[in-house]
Amino acid sequence: MDQFGDKLASKLHHYSVLPWNDVYGSVEAAEAFVLTNYIFFLIISFVVTLGFMLLAARKLDMVPSGIGNVAEAGYEFIRNMCNEAMGKEGQKYAPFIATLFFFILFSNLIGLIPGALPGTGTIGVTATLAVMVFVLYNFIGFKKHGFIGYLKSFVPSGIREMGWGGKLTLGVFVFVLEVVGHFLRPLTLAVRLFANMFAGGMILGIFGIFVVIGVAQLSAGGFAIAGLSTVMLLIMYAFKLFVGFIQAYVFALLTSVYIGGALHADEH
Amino acid sequence: MEGSLNVLGAGLAYGLAAIGPGLGIGIVGGKAVEAMARQPEMAGKVQTTMFIAIAFTEALALLGFVLALILSA
Repeated sequence: MDQFGDKLASKLHHYSVLPWNDVYGSVEAAEAFVLTNYIFFLIISFVVTLGFMLLAARKLDMVPSGIGNVAEAGYEFIRNMCNEAMGKEGQKYAPFIATLFFFILFSNLIGLIPGALPGTGTIGVTATLAVMVFVLYNFIGFKKHGFIGYLKSFVPSGIREMGWGGKLTLGVFVFVLEVVGHFLRPLTLAVRLFANMFAGGMILGIFGIFVVIGVAQLSAGGFAIAGLSTVMLLIMYAFKLFVGFIQAYVFALLTSVYIGGALHADEH
Repeated sequence: MEGSLNVLGAGLAYGLAAIGPGLGIGIVGGKAVEAMARQPEMAGKVQTTMFIAIAFTEALALLGFVLALILSA
């Protein structure tokens, strides 16, 4: 059983933040500015996204074909979602949201390649994306409704029409709750993506270790465990493919919902 | 001793935080399937709303996950 513990520890170590050229090394990345394994694969997914889009845009036809078809279908999917969540006014934010979607999608999918890691599997990357969204949607809200107007819209119109007594008690209470809620949004955006990608990779790793250890036992029970784990590994692999897509979609959807909420802040 | 209590607390924090959202997401998903079966033409809209509702429910479990990471670090 000692062997299992060691293998598990070394596999889980593989998922911690390490210098990129020393993935199986024993020292975690301590300095603030060092190229880590996650960031290495993040840069790869950045290059892949850019290359994919450049290839797709190289030949623009009325009837797209090949890679252009895939990119166009993805963009149309995001544009329809934006249309639903933000209305006509939000159309100009669709390219931003599509960029987020494709970047997160590619970085999630690259994490499925054995040996590679998802760039979104580290909290720093997802927090950066989430703070970007947070700043953008609040900027849009302040720009559209004015500083006071946007802050006022945090309180529902029913309370705004009350007398001073209602405004000072219920209004202040609701306002504080809303502000806390707004600050929770980037936190949950970041942690949702990070937790799904990080934990998903770890589950695949653990089932992989079960297969290796089961075969190494060279007994009927060992082979049974290995076979069962292989089946589970394949199922989890398919599930992770699905999760990678869903998480990219949820991130894009929530971004568009938040921007839509900032655009239409005065309507409720 | 203190370290092991921290790890125990981390496990409990995530486990307990996952109960409510687990039930909640189950209810949201089930109701969404019900709605889609009744009105297949609204499936797209129901699906979008379902994902938003799941995102809000899930946030509570994620806070527990963060707490677990903080406690076990």
